[in-house]
Amino acid sequence: MCNSVVPKTNAHECDGKLYLPFQCKIESVQELTRTEKLFRLSRKDGKPFGHKPGQFMQVSITGIGEAPISVSSSPTRGDYLELGVRKAGTLTNAMHELKSGDEIGLRGPFGTFFDTESMKGKDLLLISGGCGLAPMRALIQYVEDCRKDFGNVTILYGAKSPADVLYQSELEQWQNSDKLSCQVTVDTVSSGTCWDSNVGLITKLIPPLDINADKTVAVIVGPPIMYKFVTLELYPKGLSDKDIIVSLERYMKCGVGKCGHCTIDHLYCCTDGPVFTLDQVASLKGAI
Amino acid sequence: MKKVLTTCPYCGTGCMFYLVVDDDGTLVGVEPSNEHVVAKGQLCVKGWNAYHFVNHPDRLTQPMIRRNGKMEPASWDEALNLVVSKFKETQAKHGNDSVAFFSSAKTTNEENYLMMKLARAVFKTNNVDHCARLCHSSTVLGLAATFGSGAMTNSISCMEQADCILVTGSNTTEQHPLIGSRIIENVTNNGAKLIVADNRKIRLARLADIHVRWKNGTDVAFLNGIMNVIISEGLEDKEFIKTRTENYEELKKIIADYPPERAAEICGITPKEIVDVARMFAAADKAMIVYSMGITQHTHGVDNVKSCANLAMLTGNIGLPGTGVNPLRGQNNVQGACDMGALNGVFSGYQKVVDPTTREKFEKAWSVENLPAEPGLTITTAIDAAAEGKLKALYIMGENPMMSDPDQNHVREAMEKLEFIVVQDIFPTPTSEYADVILPAASYAEKNGTFTSTERRVQPVRKAIEPVGQSRTDWEILCDVAQRAGYDGMKYNSASEIMDEVATVTPIYGGVSYERIDQVGLQWPCLDKDHPGTPVLHSGKFARGLGMFSPAAYLPSKELPDEQYPFVLSTGRCYFHFHTGTMTRRSQMLDREERFPYVEISIEDAKELGIYDRAWIYVATRRGEVKVMAHVTDVAKKGVLFMPFHFEEGPANLLTINALDPIAKIPEYKVCAAKIRSAE
Amino acid sequence: MKILTEKNLKTFLKSAEADYNVRVPINLHDGTRALGKIDEGSLAIAGGVIPQKITNVFFPQMETILTIDSEKVELPKPSVKPLLVIGFTAQDADCLEFIDRFYSEDYRDDIYFNKRDGAVIVCVSGRCGNDGEFLKIAGEKCDLELICDGQNYLLAAYTDAGKALAENADGANADDSVIQQLQKESDSLPADDLELIQAASKLLLEEKVPEEFWATISDRCIACTSCNLVCPTCTCFDIFDRKTDSKVQRWRMWDSCQLDGFMREASGHNPMGKENIRTRRRIHHKLAADVTRWGQLTCMLCGRCDDVCPTGIGIKAVCREMVDKYGSA
Ligand SMILES: Cc1cc2nc3c(=O)[nH]c(=O)nc-3n(C[C@H](O)[C@H](O)[C@H](O)COP(=O)(O)OP(=O)(O)OC[C@H]3O[C@@H](n4cnc5c(N)ncnc54)[C@H](O)[C@@H]3O)c2cc1C
Ligand code: SF4
Ligand code: SF4
Ligand code: FES
Repeated sequence: MCNSVVPKTNAHECDGKLYLPFQCKIESVQELTRTEKLFRLSRKDGKPFGHKPGQFMQVSITGIGEAPISVSSSPTRGDYLELGVRKAGTLTNAMHELKSGDEIGLRGPFGTFFDTESMKGKDLLLISGGCGLAPMRALIQYVEDCRKDFGNVTILYGAKSPADVLYQSELEQWQNSDKLSCQVTVDTVSSGTCWDSNVGLITKLIPPLDINADKTVAVIVGPPIMYKFVTLELYPKGLSDKDIIVSLERYMKCGVGKCGHCTIDHLYCCTDGPVFTLDQVASLKGAI
Repeated sequence: MKKVLTTCPYCGTGCMFYLVVDDDGTLVGVEPSNEHVVAKGQLCVKGWNAYHFVNHPDRLTQPMIRRNGKMEPASWDEALNLVVSKFKETQAKHGNDSVAFFSSAKTTNEENYLMMKLARAVFKTNNVDHCARLCHSSTVLGLAATFGSGAMTNSISCMEQADCILVTGSNTTEQHPLIGSRIIENVTNNGAKLIVADNRKIRLARLADIHVRWKNGTDVAFLNGIMNVIISEGLEDKEFIKTRTENYEELKKIIADYPPERAAEICGITPKEIVDVARMFAAADKAMIVYSMGITQHTHGVDNVKSCANLAMLTGNIGLPGTGVNPLRGQNNVQGACDMGALNGVFSGYQKVVDPTTREKFEKAWSVENLPAEPGLTITTAIDAAAEGKLKALYIMGENPMMSDPDQNHVREAMEKLEFIVVQDIFPTPTSEYADVILPAASYAEKNGTFTSTERRVQPVRKAIEPVGQSRTDWEILCDVAQRAGYDGMKYNSASEIMDEVATVTPIYGGVSYERIDQVGLQWPCLDKDHPGTPVLHSGKFARGLGMFSPAAYLPSKELPDEQYPFVLSTGRCYFHFHTGTMTRRSQMLDREERFPYVEISIEDAKELGIYDRAWIYVATRRGEVKVMAHVTDVAKKGVLFMPFHFEEGPANLLTINALDPIAKIPEYKVCAAKIRSAE
Repeated sequence: MKILTEKNLKTFLKSAEADYNVRVPINLHDGTRALGKIDEGSLAIAGGVIPQKITNVFFPQMETILTIDSEKVELPKPSVKPLLVIGFTAQDADCLEFIDRFYSEDYRDDIYFNKRDGAVIVCVSGRCGNDGEFLKIAGEKCDLELICDGQNYLLAAYTDAGKALAENADGANADDSVIQQLQKESDSLPADDLELIQAASKLLLEEKVPEEFWATISDRCIACTSCNLVCPTCTCFDIFDRKTDSKVQRWRMWDSCQLDGFMREASGHNPMGKENIRTRRRIHHKLAADVTRWGQLTCMLCGRCDDVCPTGIGIKAVCREMVDKYGSA
């Protein structure tokens, strides 16, 4: 299956109609937390989505608007697409009202992706926080499905509290897997909550790790402040900016490099990103 | 694609611009006018977005009548007949003054004139008022008492000519952006001195030579302190005082009680600040005072205004370009609505209803008899009367008292008690929820008329598109009501005919006609067809003859912070929204900028209470509690909260106090006591 | 090359209406110059730069990008007749060239090219600027050019579409020496402003402008957004939906990076959450970021933002302050 994945071009299939969404059917809706739901979608015209881990879709509900949402499933799992959506405002609230069988519009996939080709043979350190697990899950699924392509795989995930932990059953599965190592931590546990994993910031999980800097790629996806503190832990391990891959989030309206909302200096987060190597962006003001 | 020259519907600056209409009759943009004297090819963010709400799908497009408790579509005939019969019935049962009319500073001069004509000539009541009551009624009365005319004395262009500008209680760059920008240009290009007396660190404060952050509500003490220094240092304009004013001795007497030490103590500042301000202001060749709601919205609002006037007279800064007392009027046509007599005690042109010869003149002009002689209810007292069950029916044109009047629960009680409410508006509002009849009105882009800007400039408003749905212009609706009520004197073929009538009965508008204001407007007083208009008032002579020094003693605000409610809560507007938000919150760009109700809190207070920026908190006063987002900012001073009143979901006016200035009946929006707690 | 009187010019433009949607500079009601149809106001070809963003003919303040009614999705259609737009200055033509590039690279913006494809661009230059200013000759950046000799207009055609149109024009043949003289005048126009922004660009690229500088400018910015809204190379937009009983329309409208909400994310995180950062972006984007990305300055010195800024901090004014302060070091 690994070979069948990625189409060559990065262009969104729209016959040159940049802003025209295509229709999708919601196959299922799964509640992840109080504020997050996972939607599984298929294209109404039966075509493949052509998505790669790290890319995002512009989700459209007519009359409400659009919002960028990361692809949360790996193409190696079949012709469906999963989106993990947190209630944050107008569109995401409306989306949470939708049920399986409902229709929704999509544009995309857009943006750069985790370059699994160049990760081949490397050890992977996959660090995510909060909603960042959504795109990271697509990569983890991919890695699971093409496990022999990669060296050691370590997953670190941090959430605010036990109630905010996304994809709990999958995390458990990864934690129990002998093919990869996975650690979960939460910032705080309120009294009375049952939690038998780590407590504390995700940065605390890094120092004890045994990392072979020569063949490790670190991938970080999480809230803005996470990048700074996680990278500070990674440098002492011998990793440099070109070994660190980040996925940045910016306000996005068009997804195709036109509306200007997502710029970071001369880069457009939607087309040059959202996935960058740290050395592409580290020196840009306001990027991290 | 059509481009139609019209006047901005937002603030009183009065920029003119072109509305861009596409071939379907939808407004799709705005282009500034390069030739207009005020706009000069520029606009503020509200102006650039002023087209946006007009075609919003929420527009009211159909008359509605409440049947069995539910609003249902109705025809214009049904709706207007019901309005007239209910009003007549109510008056028959409870007397003429059991009904009231709220006019609107958002509608045109013509419409305001007709509203007051409808109230007075047709329904024989002086219960007609509008929201100027809530913003500048203290100006109208305070300046009339001192100068004889209650309007901005100078012109916007004077902002560029002053050598020293004292800005107090006006966040000019946000509320009158293109006036604020003139002040900035004058300061940065010409080195004019800028004094900002405001407890918030507004943008102008950052550019000011002196920024004084006194305690809210201590304006009189502050201004008296300044005058005390000026007099004791002999910096007053003796010649001006001698030849142009009266009552100076009385001023001196009262001012003597405010040496800088005492004034500073009341204001919570240092005596040096008062001395510095006094010297800087008095030293300037041309000094002007710019103020707005920070001065007027107090239980001592009239005193504040008079004190500003006193200071200007004391230093001889009246009647010349680059000087003056310049209240900035908040709304596009609040000046005009006052000029047109949409006030409880005056006909158009501030002609008093108590004056028999004036009444006689209007009786003749309107072919009616027995115009009511006693001043009627104001917006604020009408709400009180309704809550007490004395007022029975209310006709509200383009106002949203549920959001704009103090103490929302009190207003709600009034709304619930009223037997019959008519709301004429362009959008549904919290007020229209209480309506028995809703009349859909045309927006500013769908009609002809005039607005009068803060510099007394009467300017054209032009129809760019057809009224949406079944909506009709306010003036046509009012004429229709009058006619159905059996009055024949309100028939016009065009808005211009109404202005012609206004000109015949209103001396200060005597020379105004559509022909003359075609492009840049005219500044009143404009007495006749040949009069060029008046950019600067009171030059050579005050409207009342001699300027009247009207000193006031400092009075504390009604509700001061205490242990239980330790913060001062002040309310107002933000840059992106306008008043109750009906238009700006339906404008994509403006709403995006401020999407949530918020309160400004100082960095120190936030730190102490563990509140972070954009966290949700509760603000409570003795009237109620609302949930808002915290904006932690150095704009706010420690101990003071500022909250805009644009948001239905977090209404600032649920918190404000219904305490009124005894003369102007303006509410104290700027000071009440509050407390806060986290909502997360 | 033909030479056209005002009258011949008007006849020529009228005749072009058969095949084109013609937009010309006219005087609006109060004399404001703007683009409009020939009969909507008196012609105002002379007078220099049109105050409004001239690229708004292809990228208007607000336009629909989708219409959806009862299941049917409709995209805006290209108009039957292409546009013919008169009134670009040489700098405006540079602006257009850039945004053509911007909208076509990577993803091609079909909404923009609906209007842009087939459009004919006519520059106006020569002795017809504001207050006798000489307007730079644009040359082959446009299809057609009207070069004013102080009274009449020489009609220079550069592209096939331009040449085809020029054939219909009625006028005497111009003397070569006239055009040479005008060209010479054009070539000798001072390049001070260009040198100024190049120097500013260099300072920015070399990171010689300290952070404090931006606050001294942003203190004076009232966030009116005019500078963005009149700039012919500003391309940013926002997207929103409008739903009525019968249909949903998705629109886009001009946006401004001088607004706090421009980049504010759902979480409240805002990479441009401070005025000084936004002011920096306004200048930095055109003079440094775009240089890195596109290999060119994207301020073409059309002059609009300096004209429109109510507090006098348009791009040239800021560059001047910047170069004065940090230029000699
Ligand atoms: C590349 C990318 C991938 C993302 N992936 C996911 C994901 O997998 N799961 C998920 O739950 N969320 C994801 N987000 C965040 C998600 O896009 C926002 O939560 C969403 O746009 C909010 O839209 P709304 O209409 O619900 O909220 P709105 O009501 O529009 O806005 C709420 C707040 O969000 C801001 N906002 C509006 N539009 C955007 C926008 N396009 N981008 C950022 N902020 C915006 C507004 O300024 C406002 O403050 C992603 C964002 C990006 C840029
Ligand atoms: S300054 Fe006032 S009148 Fe001028 S555009 Fe802005 S809101 Fe309108
Ligand atoms: S035009 Fe001037 S004041 Fe307006 S946003 Fe731009 S820089 Fe700021
Ligand atoms: S999202 Fe529009 S340019 Fe990136």
